[in-house]
Amino acid sequence: MLDTLKKYISGFVSLTNEEFALMANELVIRNFDKRELLTRAGEVENYLNFVVKGLVRKYFYKGRTEIITQIAKEGEFINSSASFLSGNPSPYLVETLEPSTFLSVTRDQLERLYENNPRIERVGRIVITHLFLQREEWEHECLRLDTRERFLRFVENNPDLMQRVPQKYLASYLNMKPETFSRLKHLIQRPRTAAR
Amino acid sequence: MGKQKSSYKTALEGLHHYLSRYLPISRSEFQHLLPYIEIREYDKKAKVTKEGEVERYFNIIARGLVRKYLPLKNGEQTIQLAVEGHIIHSELSFFYRTPSTSVVETIEPTVFLSISYESLEQLYKQHPKFERIGRLIITDLFVRKDHRFFDQLRKNTRERFLDYIKTHSHMLQRVPQKYIASYLNIKPETFSRLKHLMRPAKKS
Repeated sequence: MLDTLKKYISGFVSLTNEEFALMANELVIRNFDKRELLTRAGEVENYLNFVVKGLVRKYFYKGRTEIITQIAKEGEFINSSASFLSGNPSPYLVETLEPSTFLSVTRDQLERLYENNPRIERVGRIVITHLFLQREEWEHECLRLDTRERFLRFVENNPDLMQRVPQKYLASYLNMKPETFSRLKHLIQRPRTAAR
Repeated sequence: MGKQKSSYKTALEGLHHYLSRYLPISRSEFQHLLPYIEIREYDKKAKVTKEGEVERYFNIIARGLVRKYLPLKNGEQTIQLAVEGHIIHSELSFFYRTPSTSVVETIEPTVFLSISYESLEQLYKQHPKFERIGRLIITDLFVRKDHRFFDQLRKNTRERFLDYIKTHSHMLQRVPQKYIASYLNIKPETFSRLKHLMRPAKKS
């Protein structure tokens, strides 16, 4: 279970086994059924979650419409990040789509790790930088690409999510109407089989 | 840089103050940072980072006004407007070491306190305290970005306009209207129309 996390981190910084053990020691394993809320709107996010198994979405309500801002699968982090980092109440909800297992760390535990080990603090800095850049890249894409281009790029990068995530959620995440999403889906059928 | 750092005493004091908001830094600790800092001066309308080049610097504005934009098929999309005390550079390019897809350009003559990618890595290695400050700054930037992202999704054009002028009245004086309109993702015509709405409220 820890291997996935170790692999993720080694993409940024090489930690010694000892350093990794120190960190692993602070983690808790959390299991959730599908359709369970990890975080409610108005709560302060207490956990940072690494997805070991499962699928999770983050969203907020605009009136009565759900707007999805993140879909996370195995090997990715999810939580109400700004709330976790700032201590302010979360405007977002975090909810599982499939039964899920997480390696989670609380803010206090994380602070303690940073305090005791500069190399782990380095991991923290780099992971946050990475989250920041992912968001920046997403914003650039939304401005640079039109609906069709965004759809095709998403499909190319996340073929597995097309199978696992309900279509209406993907449409919401890509900020398009479900009808548009269906229409665009027809576009990809032919090239995809040709590529296989 | 031929410039004497002593002639930028105020700017450097400003930097000390700015960093201390994240974590108190003593005078001697701040002295450790100075060799890594470069002072860079630009005229107005100067390109600081061009499209296609790898961003070398992390910049804090000591004086001036700068914008960042994406050159698109149908014009320039402004994505950031920054003044004194703000951080501006092509982040994706800086951290990933890839060619920049955005352009950083001055609007007014500008002085930056800058640190190069290599220097920043050195600084973090030599002085872990600055790595902590780095973490706290990027965390703060992330939280702000998330807040803005959330606002963009939740608010309509009119609300975004009203919020902006409420919180950034100082920018309205300095920044050409077309850049603010582009930043808010509002058509210049709509921006003008909304501006008229504001007049009575401004007096009261």
